[in-house]
Amino acid sequence: MNQINDRTTVNGKKSRSRVLEMSINGEAHEITVKPRVMLLEAIREKIGLTGTKDGCESGTCGACTVLVDGQPTLSCITLAVECEGKNIRTVEDLADGENLNYLQEAFLDQGGTQCGFCTPGMLMSATALLEKNPKPTRDDINKALEGNLCRCTGYNSIVDSILQVSDQGVKPRLL
Amino acid sequence: MILYDFEYERPGSLKEATALLNETGGDAQLLAGGTDLMPNMRVEVVTPSLLVSVSGIEPAAPEKCADGSIRIDSLTKLSDLVDAELIQNELPMLAEAAHTVASNQVRVMGTLGGNLCQETRCLYYNQKHDYQFVEPCYKRGGDCCYPFPGNDRDVCWAVYMSDIAPVLIALDAKLEILGPDGTREIAMADLYTGDGMNPFTLGTAEIIQAIFVPPVPERFGWGYHKTTVRGGLDFGTAIIVIVLQLAEDGETCCWAKIVYSAVGQGPLRPTTTELSMEDAVLDPALIAVAASQEISPLPHHGFNKGFLRENIRVYTERTLVSAIECAQGKI
Ligand SMILES: Cc1cc2nc3c(=O)[nH]c(=O)nc-3n(C[C@H](O)[C@H](O)[C@H](O)COP(=O)(O)OP(=O)(O)OC[C@H]3O[C@@H](n4cnc5c(N)ncnc54)[C@H](O)[C@@H]3O)c2cc1C
Ligand code: SF4
Ligand code: FES
Ligand code: FES
Repeated sequence: MNQINDRTTVNGKKSRSRVLEMSINGEAHEITVKPRVMLLEAIREKIGLTGTKDGCESGTCGACTVLVDGQPTLSCITLAVECEGKNIRTVEDLADGENLNYLQEAFLDQGGTQCGFCTPGMLMSATALLEKNPKPTRDDINKALEGNLCRCTGYNSIVDSILQVSDQGVKPRLL
Repeated sequence: MILYDFEYERPGSLKEATALLNETGGDAQLLAGGTDLMPNMRVEVVTPSLLVSVSGIEPAAPEKCADGSIRIDSLTKLSDLVDAELIQNELPMLAEAAHTVASNQVRVMGTLGGNLCQETRCLYYNQKHDYQFVEPCYKRGGDCCYPFPGNDRDVCWAVYMSDIAPVLIALDAKLEILGPDGTREIAMADLYTGDGMNPFTLGTAEIIQAIFVPPVPERFGWGYHKTTVRGGLDFGTAIIVIVLQLAEDGETCCWAKIVYSAVGQGPLRPTTTELSMEDAVLDPALIAVAASQEISPLPHHGFNKGFLRENIRVYTERTLVSAIECAQGKI
């Protein structure tokens, strides 16, 4: 196994940075990163979009979920260099200026967000699901959100939000 | 961020990938979906100096070969495996096993090859050491074993937790392995050394290229069970796979295979019990007792041996009943 002696060189040489082009929320970006930088840090620190959350950093909580070419991806365990030329969408892509989209409105209607830390990941997983399957059943939703943990809501209101936005008989709660 | 620098290459073919791995020797590692490797590099359980990424290579869709076997590209994402019609129709057990792995995001990112070659796990090994313990364990070149302090220094009891490997063993799958000197073929079961220190028989520059699953015979039945604590986004507590073929009378078992995962350094099989099932009318309760006594499950993640043995007994019986009913065409 490679014993790490000096954390900033590889076999005595400085590791190369790379210039990457990627589209983030429809906008072309060029960023310079070392291979060790994760997509999560590229988005939050290089691009400055802090909607995507950093939770467990080990692939278990889903707070960092973004869409890479439409697929829900854990940005905390994806190297930024792996996303060269890819099309990335983060939670900032959902609202149109001040206007939330229907999915976000449904989360508000149902109380699907409380502290809000899991919400960006939940919204991106839900967006991917609804793009693939516009009328998901409760089971489909449970399976699609399996990788998104929430410590606050107890999940039912999140599932209800998705049933509401997909027009399956769940009405907004009176708040 | 990974806390040390390494190099990164993205070749256009698996041939170039093995050449790159070969040049760098044991210090280089293949990067597929990264869902196992990235968390392990973050906590510095593995610390390669070069990552050879396969993300520039497009996997071929699963296809049927002339001899009836099904070829699956090792780079196939688990979610594509679950969705593939050919797999759902011909190898439903494989689709079910892939569907139980982790979460939607991990299935979208993770590949079949990476699932088979995932690192073994123990409560110490897969944690961040900086804030937990200072000294590395035997497997990391150190001088102790945290969960099993009585072990000898060449013994590691980290367990292998793939949900899919036991299915491929039960189905008699073959692996096509690409190395610097060309390809070779091995039986799925020969991928494992049974040694937790070094669980796989692959050479440093070898890559699993494809998996071949032969067609199943007539009156074939299967059962799959994964026990988890939470039911979702969880590694298995114990994973049980049973396949069998019934004779024309629909009662007598011609042969059967039982494979367990997550309870040993590699997948385990109770071979004596399997032999006793040949050409016999099966009593699931008795077989479950025999099988659970024959294998020796490793305690892991807070589950002790007694608990695991009882779990295996209970679910071997239920899984066997459903395998028999499946072969009889009842389910
Ligand atoms: C939160 C979480 C939960 C998980 N739950 C489960 C679970 O329930 N069940 C389960 O089985 N797994 C689970 N995993 C483990 C893992 O994500 C999956 O097994 C996944 O399929 C690994 O595939 P990958 O392509 O991401 O592998 P990678 O991380 O890319 O690779 C893993 C290892 O295999 C090697 N490798 C990859 N491809 C090949 C190849 N073709 N030939 C030779 N070597 C190769 C790599 O060099 C590396 O050492 C979980 C992971 C996470 C993060
Ligand atoms: S079981 Fe293996 S990996 Fe776990 S602490 Fe002991 S030697 Fe290390
Ligand atoms: S921060 Fe990525 S899964 Fe938790
Ligand atoms: S709203 Fe607080 S974690 Fe989900």
